[in-house]
Amino acid sequence: MRTRSLAQSLPLIAPVHILILSVIVVPSIFVIWLSLTKSSFGQAPTWVGLENYVRVLGDPAFRGALWNTVVIVVFAVHIELAVGLAVALLFASGLPLRRFLLVAVLAPYAVSEVIAVVMWRFLFDPDAGPVMLALQALGLPILDWSFEPTHAMILIALLTIWLHLPFTFIILYAARLAIPGDLYEAARIDGATPLQAFRRVTLPLLGPAIVVALLFRYIFAFRIFSEVWLLTGGGPARSTEVVAVYLYQEAFSYNAFGPAAATAWIMVAASLLLAAGYVLLLRRQVAGNAH
Amino acid sequence: MTNRITLDMTRRGFLGTALGGAAALAAGPSWAAAKTLNILSHKVHETVLGTGTDNDLMKDWKAKNDANLVFTTFDSNPLQDRLFREASLPSTDYGVGYIIDNRPTADIAKLFAPLDDFLASAPIENYDDIAPGLREAMTVGGKTIGIPVRHATGGLFYNEQLLEEAGISAPPATLEELIEQAKKLTFTSKDGTPVTGMIMASDLAVFPVSFARAYGGDYITKDFKLLPKPEAMEKALATMADLFKAGALPRSYATTKNDDQVTWMQQGRAAFTMITFARFKQFNDPAQSKFPGRIKAVQFPKSSSYDGEMAAVTESWGMTIPANFADKDLAWSYIREVSSPRVTLGMARNGNGPVRVSTYADADFAAASPVAAAEAKALATARGAFPPFPEAARAQQLFLEDVQLAVLGRKTPAEAVESMVTRITPLLPS
Repeated sequence: MRTRSLAQSLPLIAPVHILILSVIVVPSIFVIWLSLTKSSFGQAPTWVGLENYVRVLGDPAFRGALWNTVVIVVFAVHIELAVGLAVALLFASGLPLRRFLLVAVLAPYAVSEVIAVVMWRFLFDPDAGPVMLALQALGLPILDWSFEPTHAMILIALLTIWLHLPFTFIILYAARLAIPGDLYEAARIDGATPLQAFRRVTLPLLGPAIVVALLFRYIFAFRIFSEVWLLTGGGPARSTEVVAVYLYQEAFSYNAFGPAAATAWIMVAASLLLAAGYVLLLRRQVAGNAH
Repeated sequence: MTNRITLDMTRRGFLGTALGGAAALAAGPSWAAAKTLNILSHKVHETVLGTGTDNDLMKDWKAKNDANLVFTTFDSNPLQDRLFREASLPSTDYGVGYIIDNRPTADIAKLFAPLDDFLASAPIENYDDIAPGLREAMTVGGKTIGIPVRHATGGLFYNEQLLEEAGISAPPATLEELIEQAKKLTFTSKDGTPVTGMIMASDLAVFPVSFARAYGGDYITKDFKLLPKPEAMEKALATMADLFKAGALPRSYATTKNDDQVTWMQQGRAAFTMITFARFKQFNDPAQSKFPGRIKAVQFPKSSSYDGEMAAVTESWGMTIPANFADKDLAWSYIREVSSPRVTLGMARNGNGPVRVSTYADADFAAASPVAAAEAKALATARGAFPPFPEAARAQQLFLEDVQLAVLGRKTPAEAVESMVTRITPLLPS
């Protein structure tokens, strides 16, 4: 095979590099610069160094929002993974009306987040929501989400799980279908129980898919916005505010572009930190496959 | 016989036809207006100018100027954001932008063309007829940067039918009566609907500010004095918390929005609300409301313990010209027309809060709008919930956070007021 020189290769790879530079690298650098300045409408940006980062990290509202985000991400993503895995295994074990049920499971992913939240607001209306009325009729406790911050957080987590379950499910289901049937047959001949087959065959082989699903969901879930903004607006009294809502308020309500840009970079750092364990795991898996 | 369908067109023929067609279109007569004026506004600003050929209040202006109007509409906050963004660019295609009166700080005002020269060279008809308070709100550093076009002054709406069901013959004349009636009206109506005495949005300063003013207090005065009578704000918060505790405010108070107020009133789920008088038509529209003609309005009452004048809370909109827009004469011509007595009256008939005093004197308008008299009375002394300053939005957020905590019973009114003072004072202009 003939080796191309750099000069020959450059024109071929340049379009991709120009695209990445223009839509990712340059805006990122601009946001870094913005985070080091004080600016608003009608004001020329002035250099303030790391002041915006100090201010954001020292703001109790930001720390509250960060805590809420971490709680939602950790709970929602792992519950979503458990449910997604259970549903994927159920489908793989053979279900009647599989195609219809597949559409039903995937449907939430096709629904716009705004429509979904409006629908859930109607269903869980504290005074007239059908779900609330049904719970009351059955004598069960209701989700008092417009008053109790913990209940509001539970509803937000349930909504985000419902919305994003198809993503986790489809990754795990595809990975499960790729596991050869012979392995289960061999396990059965060796006398493995279904639980042992799951632990010794399914789980290890689904490992890479689970890590990929978790990693993506951790990063996506950290940006949670619509569910909170449209359901509670961050209330009551900012008790359910998440980092993306905090950022939105800084940028578009207070027009404080410096703190908003600093918040964006803190978000990136925090989400990568939170997902660091899974990133390392993925790296080890990739390195393991390379040998 | 063959089944093949052939197209007898050569490449040269196709290209020739395409080029010829394009040239004919380019050289041919223009069917659209010669000019286009792009406007950034809320949907309501477009709607009140009338729709359809017969009801279009700007029909004559369009013909005279050979211009078309293109509205780009947003909700209030995104609209302000987009307007300031457009005005910050080197140039913009938007000639007119609608601005809320509590936004133009000194920095923001720099983004818009001063209108004093236009007012001198091509004056607005009977300009002094526009309410002085509204004109003042659009004046920054002695320069006029906007012409008032709409005001939203709050009044107390009540469902007359529900009041009758509860044996109440007249709407409240004092704040104490309002509290008493709201508690009495927290009941199940004859048709089986659970009724809440009062509904108010928790994300707007207008409600706690109105309650505070009813006791002679305020939030931030025009000269940036925070809580001039802290005890009045404490009383206001205590009253609201009492209403919530008694169930006379909905359990969902903390997530209640402006739109919820409208639907709850239309459905008979709430007996009282405080909202702009301009909503009268919507509340009494048979197509939307279960109580057409039965939802009425009065001025928000003050406490019997307060002897002074109570200012209603108002919010007004003005029309601005971004300083970076090229054809300012066309934009000013639009503003002049919209501000004229004729268009102001026409917009008022379409549900706009009229900025001209003379509009309320119009007999036809007064007859068509039963709340016109109450609105005119409220407008006479009305002022904004707070004046514009760079950190006003952040201060409002902190204020509302403490109000919510007090109403929900998570802070005492005294703690909430103390917290407001501690957190909002550093944000005020020095």
